[in-house]
Amino acid sequence: MNAVSLEKVSKSFGSVRAVDGLSVWVPAGCIYGFLGPNGAGKTTTIRMIMDIIRPDSGTIEVLGGYSAERAKNRIGYMPEERGLYRKMTVRKVLAYFGAIKGLKDDELARAVPQWLQRVDLANWADKKVEELSRGMHQKLQFAVTVINNPELVILDEPFSGLDPLNQDLLKEIILQMRKEGKTIIFSTHVMHEAEKLCDCILLINKGKVILDDRLRMIRSQHSSQVIRVELQGDTSFVETMPMVESVKSDGGLLEITLANGDTQRFIRELVQRANVISFEIKVPSLHEIFVKLVGADDAEDS
Amino acid sequence: MKYLLSWSEQTMQKILKIAHREYIETVKTKAFIIGLLMTPVIIGAIVIINGYVSQSISGPRPPRRIEVADLSKELSDEIEASFDEYNESHSEKQILLQELHADENAGEAAKEKVRNGRLDAYFVLDKDSIEGAGRIISYTSGSKMSDLDLVSTVENVLNRAVVNRRCRLSDVSRELLDKLRRRVPVERVDISLASDEKQRRQGEQIIKAMVPFFFMFLMFMGIFANGQQMLTSIIEEKSSRIIEVLLSAVSPFQLMTGKILGVAAVGLTVMSLWGAAAYATANWQGLDVRVPVKLLLCFAVYYVLGFLLFSSILAAIGSVCNTIKEAQSMMMPISFLFILPIMAWPLFVEQPDSALVTAASFFPFLTPMIMILRISSSSDVPLFEILATMAVLALSVLAVMWVTARVFRTGILMYGKKPGLREIIRWLRYT
Repeated sequence: MNAVSLEKVSKSFGSVRAVDGLSVWVPAGCIYGFLGPNGAGKTTTIRMIMDIIRPDSGTIEVLGGYSAERAKNRIGYMPEERGLYRKMTVRKVLAYFGAIKGLKDDELARAVPQWLQRVDLANWADKKVEELSRGMHQKLQFAVTVINNPELVILDEPFSGLDPLNQDLLKEIILQMRKEGKTIIFSTHVMHEAEKLCDCILLINKGKVILDDRLRMIRSQHSSQVIRVELQGDTSFVETMPMVESVKSDGGLLEITLANGDTQRFIRELVQRANVISFEIKVPSLHEIFVKLVGADDAEDS
Repeated sequence: MKYLLSWSEQTMQKILKIAHREYIETVKTKAFIIGLLMTPVIIGAIVIINGYVSQSISGPRPPRRIEVADLSKELSDEIEASFDEYNESHSEKQILLQELHADENAGEAAKEKVRNGRLDAYFVLDKDSIEGAGRIISYTSGSKMSDLDLVSTVENVLNRAVVNRRCRLSDVSRELLDKLRRRVPVERVDISLASDEKQRRQGEQIIKAMVPFFFMFLMFMGIFANGQQMLTSIIEEKSSRIIEVLLSAVSPFQLMTGKILGVAAVGLTVMSLWGAAAYATANWQGLDVRVPVKLLLCFAVYYVLGFLLFSSILAAIGSVCNTIKEAQSMMMPISFLFILPIMAWPLFVEQPDSALVTAASFFPFLTPMIMILRISSSSDVPLFEILATMAVLALSVLAVMWVTARVFRTGILMYGKKPGLREIIRWLRYT
């Protein structure tokens, strides 16, 4: 079952086509990374999922319904532009957002202290928001996002501006939610965050999908032809092997680029000819894939 | 159907929660409490200072200096007697008759004294003023308010002298004259309201005449001052980036409606408190001011509708602006429409049923204030007209909200450059 599905969704602002015929299916229960360079259409897509802006064409289905407006109580959304009422107390802000997300009084009485505890703000409950430090403000912002125990969590650039401690806290919350069977969508242009967390990713550029898959499949499809090995004894024979394109020496470590992708056969041959101490097929980082694909896409356009 | 019901129930709940927060958080602010208390204090201060000033006008003032030329040459005794009589009965407002000339030889010198301030006024009584059409001519320098009072007093005194002279010439005795001159005492009674026609003091009539103005002023403050509140609140949420966090839970329409209702409730609270305070003060001062229930009901309906109209426009303006300053320049023309009745209010009170005023009542921006003036100043505005203006106003509220909700929806997420009118019109077509 899909938590969110978009079918041929387009949106223009004036003459700028922000999202162009986007079709996306986000399976329930996974962590879904929404990647792309700045201005790729990530925020516009997320706002359309949240029914904050309406698409020019195409259909969007969220948690089994055609309008996020009805489902908003079951969604936790943290926008990229985020802030809180500065003059209200921490407890009241949390309770207010809980209330407008449909929590009843008795549910609020349970959820508010529980989340204050979870993000370590229990001692600040009766302080005004303006008295909080930036880091605490960010923690309160997560608590506001998930106070309604949502089935679907959408985070727009959640890591931007977070200190490392809060990044870890947020990751922990995200992983905990997946364990509870919830769906998490987040957008980012920081690839290593997505790499560590996501089950699936969607890579968009200029409002179009350029990559949409399970992360492991993406990696294997884009597996590079690079192998790192540490061998005992003389290594000069490696350059003469037929499959090898080039060799770079880095201390005792060799970085070998193969002419074709059959790494398994290469290992077999290597073992027959030398004593292998360590061996690694270098997996491309998402960052490399991103730069390669977006770069190619941009080059194609220009 | 059940789904639809639960959805509309959810919408209502969200709107009420937003209204509730808006109300509580506004009422708690220092600015609100200061405004609530200071406005009556300022109005009270104005009334007291006004009273003090008018008292000092009727109180003692330094003696005024005048000269008179009597060209008839036969009135000097009467004139002097007349001034003595006046000064005796007005010990705090003496008029010093410095010279009484019998011809106009000293005229130029006297006028010169008036010009350089050594004399307050110079009067010439024409030759044939006793029998013929002679006039009293007064010369003053610069038109000061205090001179008007002096001139009319001296004219009365001189007239009295002339009349006394005429009486003597016609052999009418002084006693007979006083008897003939005796004024009939007056008493003013208003029978429009009370079945028990009781006497009213003049002060009460002035207060009663002020009631329509008071109601209109209350309406103006309620709509206008609270509208500003609305603008401030939206721009604050926008500049502190709370808007989109709110939109994660509610729709733009729910947000806008909730805010408008919350601020409207703040307005009703303020006006009830001010109204009650004014009523209590009037009663405490022993003034019997009656406010019919019909007037209060009409006031509530016109206020709520007028506020919805004004504040939903302000909501749209607030949504496309980033600072209060930007917003204020955009609201100028709309503000003017609401201020218009304040400037023209005597017209509406004096001719509450004229064709012009009736027509103006149907113009939605003017309806609340004009109608409340009309209803509170004359009790016979037809019920049909009241209902019809309410209906027109309600329809225009719906139309305006339809437009502003669309502007709000798009504008609320725009930061940076303020969109032009053409771009806003494009939003209306596309959203």
